[in-house]
Amino acid sequence: MKILIVEDAETLRNELQEFLSNYGYEVEAPDDFQNIMQYAMQEDVHLILLDINLPIYDGYYICREIRKTSEVPIIIVTSRDNEMDELMSINLGADDFIAKPYNTQILLARIENVLKRTYAHQQSSILLYKSLKLDLSNGTISYQHQQEELTKNEIKILHCLMKNKGKIVSRDEMMEYLWSSDLFIDDNTLSVNITRLRKKIEAIGMANPIETRRGLGYILA
Amino acid sequence: MKLQPYIKERAVFLSMNIFLFVLVALFLWLINVQAVVMIIVFVCWFGPLLLSYGLEFLKRKNFYDELLQNFEALDQKYLLPEIIEEPNFLEGQILYDIMKTTDKQMHEHVKKYKDMQAEYRDYIEAWVHEVKTPIASSKLMFENHKNEVTKGIMEELEKIEGYVEQALYYARSSSASKDYIVKEFSLQACISKVLKKNAKAFIHKKIQLQLTEMDEVVYSDEKWIEFILHQIIVNSINYCDNKISLYTRKNEHSLTLHIVDDGIGIDEKDIGRVFDKGFTGENGRQYRRSTGMGLYICKLLADKLHLGVTIQSTKGEGTEVQIIFPKSKVVLLES
Repeated sequence: MKILIVEDAETLRNELQEFLSNYGYEVEAPDDFQNIMQYAMQEDVHLILLDINLPIYDGYYICREIRKTSEVPIIIVTSRDNEMDELMSINLGADDFIAKPYNTQILLARIENVLKRTYAHQQSSILLYKSLKLDLSNGTISYQHQQEELTKNEIKILHCLMKNKGKIVSRDEMMEYLWSSDLFIDDNTLSVNITRLRKKIEAIGMANPIETRRGLGYILA
Repeated sequence: MKLQPYIKERAVFLSMNIFLFVLVALFLWLINVQAVVMIIVFVCWFGPLLLSYGLEFLKRKNFYDELLQNFEALDQKYLLPEIIEEPNFLEGQILYDIMKTTDKQMHEHVKKYKDMQAEYRDYIEAWVHEVKTPIASSKLMFENHKNEVTKGIMEELEKIEGYVEQALYYARSSSASKDYIVKEFSLQACISKVLKKNAKAFIHKKIQLQLTEMDEVVYSDEKWIEFILHQIIVNSINYCDNKISLYTRKNEHSLTLHIVDDGIGIDEKDIGRVFDKGFTGENGRQYRRSTGMGLYICKLLADKLHLGVTIQSTKGEGTEVQIIFPKSKVVLLES
């Protein structure tokens, strides 16, 4: 997925580019605001993060111009947090509105949501790890021919681990991910859920793939 | 206006007239003029005099009585010059002109300060928005270069963010204009936003959160409520032991949101003053530095939104904050 960042503050632009790249997105962050519209149209972008206060053209104008020819999802990112700004953005055809300074996990969640809404038909809702299948559409895991239902917490935990295949996910990171999806669980609940998830995976005949790295976190191995 | 003081004020002139009349009467009596003539002279002399006094008295009494009556009835006394009618006697007219001019000047003066305040407020708002960009960049830098040092910086950064937000809402709360929008929104969604914002603190301090399902909608300004909840929850996080619970209770005409923590509580002698400006209390001094502005601004905003905010606490057992949302849509009409 390719994201275009339209932001005039250089430091923020660069950090945002690095941050989103780290999460597996392809990122374009041009610093030429004269031809920004052509940029948005020509490039094969899937999502645009758009600031409002910009040199040459402001975000509203750019948003309006893009909407004339394209339905690409636009998330307005701005430090102005008035209801009026929000209303204006949505009226101009923006898909979401995020106020600076954003919580990074929330920013990721919002980006993911908008992408999922727009490209749902292109994206498979099935994640695969070895032959363990996680089907997000009906909340089940399957291995060979056996199937098991997961709870919301368990789905999200497994989802988080599968997205970070081969990387250690610390407990804090995992909790932050869960919190950003409205699952406000505490430390004990996380332990309980992981134990249950392991049992369910074992119940369908797969050896437990979730490894605990003491003091670091969890990893799918 | 009473007759007695009015006559008393004119006593010198009246007594001089009486004195003169007595002299004239004495003279007439000496030259043997008939008593009847003396009576005629008396009537011709004092009749018009008393009549004009009487009429003048009534005129003034009408004006001043009305003035006083209006003055008593007025809530804002300074509005008096706007509602009085121009009197038809000289001193009244002078007074009227003076009052009108004073009123006009006062308005100009007040307007000057209003403009100054609006300008200052606009600056604060613009400044807050400026400063949010570097905060956002710094937070991303942290995400991109996570380690123990940056983790500490991140915590400080989040405090800065909190104070910046406070300044913004203080500027908004103290302005005369009403720049909030009351509409219907889901309380649960609003609480979720605040909890997500504070996720790091909850996770880091291993706080157990008990959140009861609430499907209620409330009528208020969502952003302001978010700010108020944030301040209260940050307080709970700072002072709780390891548990915070949130739940709602439906009452006949209102909805109460309870935010309960199991922390150190507030001293009985402090509890009445926690919403005062700059009040930090014993907890603020002992546990962490506090500006004492958070709850004060909450109360200011809550009052503007016609919300009730109350706080109860038992020392050593915990604190409970209640936010009372009126249930009816009337608040929508009022604002």
